[in-house]
This record gives sequence, C-alpha cells and structure tokens, in this order.
Amino acid sequence: MGSTGLAAMLGDMRAAFAAGDILQAIGTPLMIAIACLLLYLAIVKKFEPLLLLPIAFGMLLTNMPMFKGSSAIMMHTEFFTNPEYMLDGSHIDIQRVVSEGGLLDLLYLGVKLGIYPPLIFVGIGCMTDFGPLIANPKSILLGAAAQFGVFFTFLGALVLSALVPAISFGVKEAASIGIIGGADGPTAIYVTKTLAPALLPAIAIAAYSYMALIPVIQPPIMKALTTKKQRQIVMEQLRPVSKTEKILFPIIVTIVVAFIIPDAVALVGCLMLGNLLKESGVADRLSKTAQNGLMNVITIFLGVTVGATATAESFLNPQTLGIIVLGLIAFCFSTAGGLLLGDLMCVLTKGKVNPLIGSAGVSAVPMAARVSQMVGQKENPSNFLLMHAMGPNVAGVIGSAVAAGVFLSLFS
Amino acid sequence: MNLADALGEGLQVTVLGLSIVFSVLVILMIVLYLFKVIFYKDPKKQMTSMEKALGKAVEELPLNEAKLIGMKHVPGGVEATYTTDKNHNEPYGPDDIPEEELVAILTAAVAASLNTSTYNLRIKSYKRVGGLSSAWNRAGVNETINNRF
Repeated sequence: MGSTGLAAMLGDMRAAFAAGDILQAIGTPLMIAIACLLLYLAIVKKFEPLLLLPIAFGMLLTNMPMFKGSSAIMMHTEFFTNPEYMLDGSHIDIQRVVSEGGLLDLLYLGVKLGIYPPLIFVGIGCMTDFGPLIANPKSILLGAAAQFGVFFTFLGALVLSALVPAISFGVKEAASIGIIGGADGPTAIYVTKTLAPALLPAIAIAAYSYMALIPVIQPPIMKALTTKKQRQIVMEQLRPVSKTEKILFPIIVTIVVAFIIPDAVALVGCLMLGNLLKESGVADRLSKTAQNGLMNVITIFLGVTVGATATAESFLNPQTLGIIVLGLIAFCFSTAGGLLLGDLMCVLTKGKVNPLIGSAGVSAVPMAARVSQMVGQKENPSNFLLMHAMGPNVAGVIGSAVAAGVFLSLFS
Repeated sequence: MNLADALGEGLQVTVLGLSIVFSVLVILMIVLYLFKVIFYKDPKKQMTSMEKALGKAVEELPLNEAKLIGMKHVPGGVEATYTTDKNHNEPYGPDDIPEEELVAILTAAVAASLNTSTYNLRIKSYKRVGGLSSAWNRAGVNETINNRF
C-alpha cells in the first residue's frame, strides 16, 4: 500500500501543507483536473484535437503521482530547466538524460534541440498552396500587418512585468509570449524552447487553445473594425498561377529570408522545402510521407512531450495567468492589425479589397481563412472569400516565422 | 526593469521588428509582381487577338451573313457562337429561357421546399437575388469548402 501512486500523492500533499504552500499541496489533483478538462475540450468540443489531445495526455502522464527517484517517472523536467542538473548550469546534460531519463525525456530532446517544429513545417509546407498569394501579391502585406500583435504583446509583457511585482518577464520571456500572436504553434514552441524554456508548457497550451478558439475570438473584432458595406465586397477572381511560378516561389523565399534574417531559415526553409516537394511534382512519395506519416509521428511526439513539461511546479503560478491573458491580447491585436491594413487597402483600391481577408493574416491555416469566408458569407451569401483569404493566411505563416527570426537574432 | 526602461526597450524592438517583417514581405511582394510580369499572360488580351482573328474569318465567309455572338474558354481552346440572323443583337444566355418554363420551375422549387402542392401556389413575380451565380453553383462551392477546409 505504501508504494502506490496514491500514497506518493498524499505524502507530497502533506509535505507541501507542512511547508505552507497550498497551491502546490493541491497541485497534483489540480493538474490532473486541468488535463482532463483539456481532454474534454479536445474530444468533445473538438478544439484542435490533433494537438490538444496529445498535449493533454502528456500533461496527465507527467502529473501522475510518483515517488522521488522512481524509475517509472517518464519525464524529468528538472533535467532541462534546473541548473543543478545541467552542465555549466545552462547546457543540457545529454548523458544524464540518456542514462537516467524516461521515455518522454528522450522524446523531449527533439523539442529541446529544435528538431520537431521545423519538421512539422516540412509537413505544413507540403499541405500549403501558395497559389492565392502568388496571384494576389499585395495580400502578403496583410500577413505582415498581422504580426503587429506579436510585437505589441512583447511591449505589453514588459510593461506588465514592470507594473506587477508578482510577474517578472524579461525580454526573452516577453518575446516568447508575444509570438503567441503569430497563431502558429510550432513557431511559438521553437522560439520558447530557445528563449524561455520554463514557460514552454503555458505558452504551447495558450497558443493551441487560442488557435482552436479563432472562430470565437475573431468575428466580433472583424465586425467592430469593418462596416457592413465593406464586408459585402465581392473581390475579383484570382488569376491562374503557373507551375513555374509555384516552383520558383519556395526557392526565392528561402534565399530572400536567408539573406535578411538567417535565424528564420530553420522554420521558413523547412516550410519551403515541404512546399517544393509538393509543387515540383517529382518527389510525390516524399511529399506524401512528409504531410502524412512524418507529420503525424512528430505531432504525437511534440504534443505529448510539451504537455509533459506542464508539471504543477512549472504551471501553477501567476506567470501562467499572465501568459494566458497576454496571449489573448496578442491574438486580438494581430487580428486587428490585419483588419486595419485591410481597411486601408479597401480605401486605396476604392472598394476592391474586402477588409475581412486581413484577419486571416494571423497564420492558423486554414482556420483563420475559413473564418473570413464565414463572416463574409453571412453578409453576402454569394460571396466566396476563402481563396482571397488564403493569400494573407499563408503570408502570415512566413510573417510569423520572420518575426520569430527577429526575436531569436536579437535575444538568443 | 522599471516602466520607462520597459517602454523604451519594448518600443525599440517593436519598431525594429515590424520594419524587418515588413521589409522581407515587401521584397517578396515585389518578386511576386515580377512573376506576374514575366509569367502571366492575360487571357483577355489573348481573347482580343483571337477575337480579331475569328471575326476576320467570319467576314471572309462566303455568305458574309454570319455574326459572332458569343465566345467562351473551353478546355483546349475557345468556342465561338455564330448566328446568321441579321436582327440578332444579344448573345444567348440564361435569360433566353421562355418565361412560362421559368415560372413552372420556380413554382416546383417553392412547392418542394415548402412541402406542398404546386396547385396551392401562384407566382406573382420573381426577382434574381444574390449575384449572378446559380444557387446550385453556390451550394457546390460551399460543400467543397466545408469538406476540404
């Protein structure tokens, strides 16, 4: 009886109560409840289930009560965050992870070493059609404007940290929180694992939860920042795009991004590699593997291990609450940034651009474009904005990867 | 970090970051406009030259009475429609459906959607709403969007 998980949990609770730390005393049951709530949202409400489900289950696994030093522990977050367990206090002791770590520790190396997010981008690249963006080049600016929320939230996080003594975000933490506004899970994870690894679980969960909530968050902002007449605008049909253009696009984007912001190449380069596999038409087998098998395997590894970093000690603190609030602000301001530039384009083109496509500038492909289509069609049932919104949507993926590159080059 | 430092550093990074993001994407936009110039041939321009050629061919017809009344893109080329009716000024289109047939179709559609008999209905007037594409067309596109995205 004394060696059961229940006994371990009760022992931990007693110790935490004795130390007067109420939040940590109820930490394990509370984290299990949060994991079950996320599982409910993923399975019943279908909120980004492909990622939220593994994240929630990883969270459940890591919060199972275990005795200290037990060989059954699957994840040791201290190996990656606690300087006492690291080499020179800052580098991961790979030898220790391999010899003493559990299954999730080993898989987490893929996050920590920055392997999974770029590989996911290869798969995303294979599934992305840049045709609408090539056909309507000015829509790329909407993808840039939607990064406004990323930088505004960076500023907000620093200001909040200066005003609220319980929250202490430095520039690295602020950058990791701001990137939530890019609405791109792998990018957020890639930046956070480098700049603020301790915040990884809260940021990943906030990013994916808000991405799942896009159909709830965006429409009120879209209606507030556009007029009924603007929402009814029917846009001209996009021109057909040749195969040559689609093949040249990923090559040129990689070269341009590498010349200007080399830190973004890991993400943008992999995205474009995936896209070239698809568009070239000569590597069908690789393209199919990248967008199915590879992507699915990495998604499971990434989800479970990111969820597994959400232990009571790292998750239950005022900073998590700050991240959740700031993440929402980032999302709202990114949406607003895209919409405001959409409004400006609408005026400059004398009503040829429907500003609703601006909100799709936050990446989240294709959910954000679908929301533009949905809101536009409500005002004018014969209006099809989907393909027009896909332009800013895929531009947003490039934009958020570039914003991530800016943060990495400034702060890493 | 105090408030002034936070604001100072935050604003500096915000301006720098947004400038870099915009400059990268503006360069890509210029590249895409170049794509359009180099690779894209406007079908309207192509159509005009084809139209001229076809119009000329018609003029050269022995009867010299055929008139080009419509032209559309079809897989593999352009389909031209001619008439020998000298008084015909409009191309044929959906509006050429006889009104009685249209009213009969509308009555049947309304009866089907209201689950009643056509004898209980009388169409007094009808008006096209919501753009030029047909309801079938829109339903098809909506279904594709819902299934694929």
